Amino acid sequence: MRSLSYLVREAWANMRINRSTTVVAIMTTAFALACVGIFLLLYVNLRSAAGWLQDDIKIMVYVDDRLTREAVAELEGRLKADRMVAGALYISKEQALSEFRTQFPADFHLLEGLGENPLPASFVVTLASQYRAPDAVKRWTERVRTLPGVAKIDYNQEWIDALAGLIHYIELIAIGVGVILSAAAVTIIGNTIRLTLFSRREEIEILRLIGATRSFIRIPYLLEGAVLGGCGSALSLAILKGGFELFRQQIGTTGPLRGIESLIAFFPTSVCLALVLVGIGLGIAGSFVSLRRFGDGRT
Amino acid sequence: MDAMIQLIHVSKSYDRRPALSDISFEIEKGEFVLLMGPSGAGKSTLLRMLIGAERPDDGQIFVQGKNVTKLTRAEVPYLRRKVGSVFQDFRLLPKKSVFDNVALPLIVQGVPSVDIRRKVAEALRAVGVEHKKDQWPTSLSAGEQQRVCIARAIVNGPIVLLADEPTGNLDPQLTAEIVELFKLINARGTTVIVSTHDPHVMMLVNRRVITLEQGVMVTSPEPRVSA
Repeated sequence: MRSLSYLVREAWANMRINRSTTVVAIMTTAFALACVGIFLLLYVNLRSAAGWLQDDIKIMVYVDDRLTREAVAELEGRLKADRMVAGALYISKEQALSEFRTQFPADFHLLEGLGENPLPASFVVTLASQYRAPDAVKRWTERVRTLPGVAKIDYNQEWIDALAGLIHYIELIAIGVGVILSAAAVTIIGNTIRLTLFSRREEIEILRLIGATRSFIRIPYLLEGAVLGGCGSALSLAILKGGFELFRQQIGTTGPLRGIESLIAFFPTSVCLALVLVGIGLGIAGSFVSLRRFGDGRT
Repeated sequence: MDAMIQLIHVSKSYDRRPALSDISFEIEKGEFVLLMGPSGAGKSTLLRMLIGAERPDDGQIFVQGKNVTKLTRAEVPYLRRKVGSVFQDFRLLPKKSVFDNVALPLIVQGVPSVDIRRKVAEALRAVGVEHKKDQWPTSLSAGEQQRVCIARAIVNGPIVLLADEPTGNLDPQLTAEIVELFKLINARGTTVIVSTHDPHVMMLVNRRVITLEQGVMVTSPEPRVSA
């Protein structure tokens, strides 16, 4: 117990000895991790948006104009009997025209000029939730496209695919930035620990001579690294949260993104805790590297 | 008699310059031995070898039957817990009180607080600076600092006490006091090895002397344990 309290007190003393470098290390680690956090936040929100789009996917199955009423009923029956289909709503040619009139009143005269209603009848198909993954949707559309009476199939997969591509790029950027800035955080913390080690080298030598084990010598410095990394990470989350709320407030009042403020979200508590743990891990890694370079293992 | 320390044909060089050449001797349990020689004779190297801080190029070193040259890095701290060290420059931590300095060897061993308080008080009493326990080392005289250093070396009851030029920074009066202290510690059964270049210390100690000159052992009488 005495050893433990000694080790904690030593770690605290280490931070007090180099107070200014400790503060600088926490700040720079925080900014480095906040940069990583921006990409992570963007990534998480875009993934979530892609999830909503995928969940909300509606497939338009356009019906051949020449199909008889019986054939349409048969197609409806086949669609509704499909185990992948959760719902199929029939939109007749007349309903399609009426919806067009409601949605595009300024352009409606273009259709009137044609004489007859050019809009096809269709089924708006919603797939069961377990079949909404891009691959499953694609397989289903390819199968249904061959059914008799189906003229065309349309859905917003291109949009979703484009978003998935964007998410992939952001993921790569987040990984790249994450690796580089994490290495920077490890180096910053490592250098701070090295300063402490240098200022306490005589004490370390004395500890060695009186029989302290390597782990006893190391623990205060590893604790110091953990505190620096943890504080840096927590501060980065505070910076991100502040920036995030400011951004949400801004887009809520002005700009083309107005309305999405209720859809974007900050990291859940579990992710925040995980990020603090990552910070602690980076801090310990920085300390460890410095201890190895300092030669704490020598006798 | 039991050999506490045994050196068998020990040699050590730094950059091809021999620091110790073919040193062999035995020190019995409970002996008080002076390691004499001028600066650069190899005394400090020899003492550092006894605590595993240096390894010989050739030869074997045994402390209480354990081959020190074969110890792994993880085993070295446990050897040092049995061998107390006293230094010429005291090596006290200036930002810790006298009590905390002396308690350090016990803390690294995980000794309970209540035992630490008792043992530190005993060690400080044994060297005559119990009343200084709450002071900072920098506020003490050189003689007092060396007494604190000795208290730190004996606080966990070592089997061997090594002192490297412990009186090098002290005047003759303080030197005599410190030598008396070593004699007292030796009288309680601890094997004591003191290195010095000072003939005055040799006269005060009046025990077996091992003399080194340029890394070579020039005299080593037979072991004799103090009465």
